[in-house]
Amino acid sequence: MAQVEIINVTKRFGKTTALDNVNLDIKDNEFFVLFGPAGAGKTTLLNTIAGIYLPEEGMVKFDGEVMNQVDASHRNVAMVFENYALYPNQTVYENIASPLRSPLYKQDNETIDREVRRVASLLRIDGLLDRLPHQISNGQKQRVAIGRAIIRTPRVLLMDEPLAHLDAKLRNYMRSELKEMQSMFESTVIYVTHDYLEAISLGDRIAIIKEGKIVQVGTRDEIYYTPRNEFVAALVGEPEINIIDGTLVKENGTSYIKLEMKEELVPLPDNHPLTKTLCEYDTNEFHVGFRPQSIDYTFEYKEGYLKGSVYNFESLGNKAVLTVKVGDTFLRTLAPYDLRVQLDIDIYIDAPITKGLFFDSQTTELIGSYDDAKVNGNGTQE
Amino acid sequence: MAKLTLKNVYKKYDHKKKRRKKDKENDYFAVNNLSLDCEDGEFIGILGPSGCGKTTTLRMIAGLEDITAGDIFIGDRRINDLHPKDRNIGLAFENYALYPPLTVYENIAFNLRAKGLSNAEVDERVKRIAPLLKVEELLNMRPAALSGGQKQRVNIARAIVRNPDILLLDEPLSHLDGKMRQQLRMEIKRLHNEIESTTIYVTHDQLEAMSLADRIAIMDLGVLQQFGTPSEIYDNPANEFVASFIGEPPMNILTTTIIHHENDFYFTFEDSELRIVVPQRYYDIVKDGMKVRVGVRPTDIYVGGPDSKGTPVRVAVFEDLCTERRIGIRVGDELVMLITEDETKYEQGDLIRLEVNGEKTHLFDLETGNRIQ
Repeated sequence: MAQVEIINVTKRFGKTTALDNVNLDIKDNEFFVLFGPAGAGKTTLLNTIAGIYLPEEGMVKFDGEVMNQVDASHRNVAMVFENYALYPNQTVYENIASPLRSPLYKQDNETIDREVRRVASLLRIDGLLDRLPHQISNGQKQRVAIGRAIIRTPRVLLMDEPLAHLDAKLRNYMRSELKEMQSMFESTVIYVTHDYLEAISLGDRIAIIKEGKIVQVGTRDEIYYTPRNEFVAALVGEPEINIIDGTLVKENGTSYIKLEMKEELVPLPDNHPLTKTLCEYDTNEFHVGFRPQSIDYTFEYKEGYLKGSVYNFESLGNKAVLTVKVGDTFLRTLAPYDLRVQLDIDIYIDAPITKGLFFDSQTTELIGSYDDAKVNGNGTQE
Repeated sequence: MAKLTLKNVYKKYDHKKKRRKKDKENDYFAVNNLSLDCEDGEFIGILGPSGCGKTTTLRMIAGLEDITAGDIFIGDRRINDLHPKDRNIGLAFENYALYPPLTVYENIAFNLRAKGLSNAEVDERVKRIAPLLKVEELLNMRPAALSGGQKQRVNIARAIVRNPDILLLDEPLSHLDGKMRQQLRMEIKRLHNEIESTTIYVTHDQLEAMSLADRIAIMDLGVLQQFGTPSEIYDNPANEFVASFIGEPPMNILTTTIIHHENDFYFTFEDSELRIVVPQRYYDIVKDGMKVRVGVRPTDIYVGGPDSKGTPVRVAVFEDLCTERRIGIRVGDELVMLITEDETKYEQGDLIRLEVNGEKTHLFDLETGNRIQ
């Protein structure tokens, strides 16, 4: 249990800057996710918090206490790794008990027995205590690894891609199980992943990292509905957001947007602060992002809908992705899994401008959206 | 382009030196009595976990493995004893195996030149195929300069440039990362729509098979489990293996005891209060006290409204994935998942009433795993 502060942390390896002036304030008991592509610096940050790396600049604080000079073994953090790292020749019981037998956290046998049984029953592995690691499933191994990590209630529990090596099916299942166990963690948890489903399912808050820098910190709704820039918008959501060019046109005192695939001008809502912002912007060129589920389609002609053709159709299990070609633009939209369509047939689509996310075409930063009912508050941070 | 027919095909590896224990005991066949009819121009997916015999099947069609028993026909021609080069088959494997010193152009042209086509003919064919696979810009480059996705495009171009009767693709996307994979998956589908070659596509990824194939052959341990269109396989899986292999997240499958109570039958579960009404269509086959496996997909379970008669259960997991929400409940020791697009947010421990679409339940035999009815 600890509040974790990362203050101006920079970590270099030779000439490479792995972490570039990172600032985070992680609340006590929070489940905090570090999310980003491979090589973004997620694991480096985790290791810096654990005390395995010492940052060149900046501070790591637990509950206001500077930890830079505290040795890793005395920080009272626990770690769960991708490969679980259980002792193969020890039973599940002994694996879970092992932290309480270490010199630093030594407990008497009676306490150990009570604690092992308490944790094992929470994690539904109380029937497996006499087994060896090779006699249990991957899911059970993960629970043993977690049991071992939480038995001595560390101040901070660090998890480094614990599900990354599993196939898609098992990964989904174990993510759900991990979510179920969350309430048992009486520690601040910092969880590293490159999988957006894990990030938004598990995280109370999510920090998105790119090239050693924090791009955005926020709740799942903030990240999803108000992504700080196009990078974040594309990272969160499957299938990926459609980003198209839009040009602001002013005619007879009304403001319109012209989307790249559409001849007609789309009027922008009057008296909306975003319309005002767009009109006062120093350029007329914008990028507009549409999530696949906000694009509507029909196979019959419909007034106001754009005519295109079915470029591709793919089932994703419980739903399917339709790729529609309109002129030279490809747009992804969602369809029911059991829809059966011929490629290249006509289709009519509508991308309501009120569902669009407007981005600066140069910096790719989010300007705003007309759909502001979804999220209150601002998910961005400097 | 041609039909492909497999008739009672067997394959047994004869490891004289290191015979595996399993083989000795079971007289193990890598492919066991496989029959498939692939129509002209059809896209067939062969799907299964590793070791199920899918690649062995492909290799027998290509002529890279002997056929232990049975016959394979391309059109009306029996090809069992035909040399691989005479079968007129195009092959692309997972690893691209391009010739490193040759340009992309020469890699694609290689087989045509080997056949002795004139320069003009070669040029005409390469230039026709290149745009289909979007490699026309790459023709003068060498393989080392290409990305994984580009290499696989060249590899597939090389396989189809000879106008093969049958195109065989063995896990062509498994080396590629997420985005590239999606992109090329889409292009393979477009390509097939364009050239309409009979295609056999081997994969262990159910999503790939479901999104590409006209029909899917699912194999396990050398035995064909089911052969049908993606919707047949999804809606009417032949057995528990197929049911759990297809779909993401997978079908919930539980052992149930059926009880009879006041003119109705119910599915009941060990260590759980949950009761689900057995749909009428099963009334001919169910009996009081019968034990079966019952399966239901996460999209066919719902949270009931205020006047729901469903069993009240506690939410064990609530996952908000922004575009959809998943709710997990514990039935005995099993985690049962449901998917909803309803935007209500739940907390762990909340009481909900569970409704199951009875028409979408599947029954499987407890012993054999085969579909009942």
